[in-house]
Amino acid sequence: MKLAALSLALALTASAAQAGPRGEDGRPQSAREHGAAQATLPWKRDPFPSTYRPLPRQDALIVDATVLDGAGHRFEHANLLLRDGKIVALSTQAIAAPAGAATIDAKGRWVTPGIIDVHSHDGDFSAPFTSLDAQNSDVSEGSDPITPNVWAEHSIAVQDPSFGRALAGGVTTLQILPGSSNLIGGRSVVLKNVPATTVQAMKFPDAPYGVKLACGENPKYNYGEKGRFPTSRMGNVAGVRAAFLEAAEYRAKWLDYAGGHGKRPDDDLKKDTLAGVLAGDIRVHWHCYRADDMATLFDVAREAGFHIDAFHHAVEAYKIPQLFVANHACAVVWSDWWGYKMEALDGIRENAAFVDAAGACVTLHSDSPWLGQRLRLEAGKALAAGRRAGLAIGPERAIEWITLNSAKVLGLDARIGSLEPGKNADVVIWSGDPFSVYVKADQVFIDGAVVYDRGNPARHPRSDFELGQPSMAAEAE
Amino acid sequence: MKGKYKIVKNILAIALLPMVPAMSMAAGGTIAIVHANAWTMVEASGGRVDDATIVIRDGRYESVAAKAPPPAGARVIDATGRVVTPGLMSADTHLGLVEVSSLEETRDYGVNAGPLGAAFDVQYGLNRNSALLPVVLADGLTRAVTSPSAAADAAFLGMGAVLRVQPGGDVLDRARAAMYASVGGFGAKQSGGSRSAQWQWLRNAFDEAKAYVPPKSGVGAPRDQLQNALNIAALRAMVEKRVPLALRVSRESDIRQAVRLADGYGLSLIVIGGAEAWRCADLLAAHKAAVVLDPEADLPWTFDELGARADNAAILARAGVTIAFSVSGNTIYLSHNAGVAVREGAGLAVANGLAYADAMKALTVNPARIFGIADHYGSMARGLDADLVLWNGDPFEPSSAPEVVFVRGVQASPITRQTLLRDRYAPKLAKDPWPPAYRP
Repeated sequence: MKLAALSLALALTASAAQAGPRGEDGRPQSAREHGAAQATLPWKRDPFPSTYRPLPRQDALIVDATVLDGAGHRFEHANLLLRDGKIVALSTQAIAAPAGAATIDAKGRWVTPGIIDVHSHDGDFSAPFTSLDAQNSDVSEGSDPITPNVWAEHSIAVQDPSFGRALAGGVTTLQILPGSSNLIGGRSVVLKNVPATTVQAMKFPDAPYGVKLACGENPKYNYGEKGRFPTSRMGNVAGVRAAFLEAAEYRAKWLDYAGGHGKRPDDDLKKDTLAGVLAGDIRVHWHCYRADDMATLFDVAREAGFHIDAFHHAVEAYKIPQLFVANHACAVVWSDWWGYKMEALDGIRENAAFVDAAGACVTLHSDSPWLGQRLRLEAGKALAAGRRAGLAIGPERAIEWITLNSAKVLGLDARIGSLEPGKNADVVIWSGDPFSVYVKADQVFIDGAVVYDRGNPARHPRSDFELGQPSMAAEAE
Repeated sequence: MKGKYKIVKNILAIALLPMVPAMSMAAGGTIAIVHANAWTMVEASGGRVDDATIVIRDGRYESVAAKAPPPAGARVIDATGRVVTPGLMSADTHLGLVEVSSLEETRDYGVNAGPLGAAFDVQYGLNRNSALLPVVLADGLTRAVTSPSAAADAAFLGMGAVLRVQPGGDVLDRARAAMYASVGGFGAKQSGGSRSAQWQWLRNAFDEAKAYVPPKSGVGAPRDQLQNALNIAALRAMVEKRVPLALRVSRESDIRQAVRLADGYGLSLIVIGGAEAWRCADLLAAHKAAVVLDPEADLPWTFDELGARADNAAILARAGVTIAFSVSGNTIYLSHNAGVAVREGAGLAVANGLAYADAMKALTVNPARIFGIADHYGSMARGLDADLVLWNGDPFEPSSAPEVVFVRGVQASPITRQTLLRDRYAPKLAKDPWPPAYRP
C-alpha cells in the first residue's frame, strides 16, 4: 500500500503546479485579504451564526476497546479519555479515571471517531417526501442554472427523521449540500448531528462554507429540457467560466475598495459566494462523474484561480487518481453505485481503494438517507473490494475514508475526524467490528455528550414529525 | 497484516478460473463440492449439512450428504469448510429490462401510453446480453423476479416474470409469474385523485373479467366495459391459472384492503413493499399472503410508509408470513446491484431480529414458492437446478463475495464489465506508457 502510493507520487510531473500562491494544502492564499480591511469584504460576513452549544456531558473513560483512531492506527485493549468535550488521551496503558468521570467498559467492542458524511441531503430533501417536493423540492433552486446566492441551510427542515437515523448509525457531522440541478447550486452547510429546533443550533461553529457545483448530465438535462442554457457539456463549462470571470472582477473591486481605492461596490449575493471561493474561504464541492469532465474542471479551476476541494460521486476517479494527487483534491465516492445514468456506467467497486492506493484523498459519502445510516458498511464494502483486488488495506485505513479524510474535505481535520488528543470528543462505541452488517452503534458522543445510547430509550432522539403518528406506534393489531 | 493470506488465495482462485465468456461451459458431467458448510434449504434435513459433499450431475442436484466420498470421475471442488448456498434470488428487480436507468431506450419495464394495462407483459423485452447480468451473477444472484413498474392503467402494472441469471442464455425462467398492481398516495393521481378509486377500479376489473363473454363476431369489449379485450383476456387467464396478484402497497389500510380484495376474488396475494405490513402480520399469515419487502426501508419516506421500521421482516417471519427480499437503494440497487444489496438487506434484517435461517429462506426457497418456480429452484433437493454459490465468508456480510457460482450446473464466469475495468486500471499499471485502451 505505502510503497504503491510512494511510487505513484514520485511519478507525478511538475506540470501540476497551479497558478498563484498556494498554501501547503494547495489552497490559494491572498496576502491582500489578510490586511486590516478584511472585515468589510462581503464574503467574510457571517449573517447566520451558529448558536450550537454542546449538550450536557460527563467526562468519560472508555476502557478495553478495539480502537480505530481514524489516523491510520488500530489498538487492542485500548483506553480513551474524554474530558470537557475533548479527546484527552488514547493509550493501551492504563489511564486513571479523573474524579467524576464515568468508566465505560468496552471489552469486546470497537471505538472509532464519529462518522462524517460529507454529502447528505438530510433536511433539504427531507422525509416525508411529499407531492409538494415532487413539484418543487427544497434541494435545488430550479429557476436558474447559476445560483451561488442560495444557501442550503435556508432549506433545512430540522425535524427530518433522517438526522436521527443517521445518528443511530454513528454519524456525528454532516455536510448538507444543495442538489445537482444547477451548474452552481449554492452554499453547503456543515452541521453537528444534534437534535435542535433551529438550523443555527446545529451549525458547526466556524466551519468553512462550501459551494456545490455540478458538471455533466444533470445541469444540461435540467435546463436543456426547458430550452435554456446550458444544453451541452461545453455549455456547462462556459457557464462556470463566465461566472468566475464576473466574480473575479467583483472581488477585485472590493479589494480595491478595502485598500482605500474607488467607491463601494454594490453587493451581489451570487458573486459574494464565488468571490469567497476565489479567496479560498469557501470550499468547492463539485458533483462530477466522468474522468474527462473532472480533468477539464481541474483546468477550469486553475485558470480561474481557485481550488477544488472535492469531486463528489467521482465514479471514474480511479481512471485519473494522479490528477487528484496533483490537485490536492479528494474523491468523494460510493462503494458500488453504477449504471443508473450514462455518466455512471463505468463505476467499479475498487474506486475508493484504487484512489487511496495512488496516494490521493478518498472518502465515502451517502447522498441518501438510507445509505447515510450505513457509511461504515460503505467503507467495509470498499475495503473488501480493494483487498480482493490485491491491495493490502486494513480496517484502520478504511475508517479514515469516513472520518479523517472526510474532515479534510470539510476543512475540519484539525478539530474532528480522529481520536487524537485535543480534538473534539466525537466518538462512537460499536457493539463490534463496525464493518460488519450485524454490528450497531451502542453509544454516540458529540463534544463529549452522549447524544445516542442504544441501551437507553431516553437517549433515542425522536423528531417532532414522529410524534402522535398511530402507524408508528410500537404495538399493532 | 491480518487477512493477507486470504487475499493471495482469492487472487489465485480467480486467476485459475478459465478466461472464458460467461456460461460457455457445458452443464454435463458430474461435479462434487466437498467439505462444504452447506445451506441445503431442504426442510427434511433441517436445511443445513456441515462438512457436506454436494453432488451435481447434468446440471441438477443429485445428493448432499455429510462426509460422503465424491463419485468417481467427478470434478471435485474443495470448499474447505466455507459456506455453500443455493444461488440466491431477489424477489423484485428490473433485470433484463434495463441497461442504463436514465435512458428510456434501454428501459423496458413500464409503459405509459397505449392499450396495455393488466395485459402488459415484460417477458418479451428480456435482454439476455444485458451487462447487468454478469455483475449480479458474480454477486451470487442466480434468479430474480423482474417486474413491471408502470402500465397505461390507473392501478394495474402488468405481468412480471422470473429470470434465470444465465448471461447469453435463455433467461426466461417463468413468464407471467405474477400480475402486478399498485395502490397508494402517489399512484392515486392516475385514478383521479383517491386511492378509494384505485380499489374500485381493481375490483371492477376483476368483476368485468369474471362476467366477460367473448363477442360472437368481431373483437372489442361491450360498450360500457372499462377494461379492453386485451386486459380482460390477461385478467381471465390470470384468475384461471391461479397466477398470484402482486400488489405494491405500503400503508396498513391498503394492505388490509389488498387482503380483502384477494379474498373476495379467490386470488393468492403477494404484498410488494409492505412498509407497514408488520402492523397486520397475523392477518397476512392467516390469509397465507406473502410479503416482498425491502429490509433497508426504515424511514417514513412517504405518508404511505410512516410506519416503516427495520424489524418489519422479523415481525412478519415470527407471525408465520412467508417473506422474500428486494432492496431498492433509491432504485439504484434494485437491478444494478441486486446481488450484493439483497445480501446486505438480509444481514440487516438479521441484525434487527430475523432468524438467520429465515433470512436464508427469504433469499431462496421463499421467493421460489411465491413466484412458482419451487419445482426446479430454491434448494439442494435432488433433481432441482444446480444453482450454487461457494462463498468466501458469511454471505450476508456485504463485504463477502462468491468464489464460485453455478447456474443449472454451469460455472459462471467471474468476469464482468466491472472486473475488466478494474483490471485495466489496476494501480500496478499506473506507469504503463500505453493508454489503457491497449490493455485487455
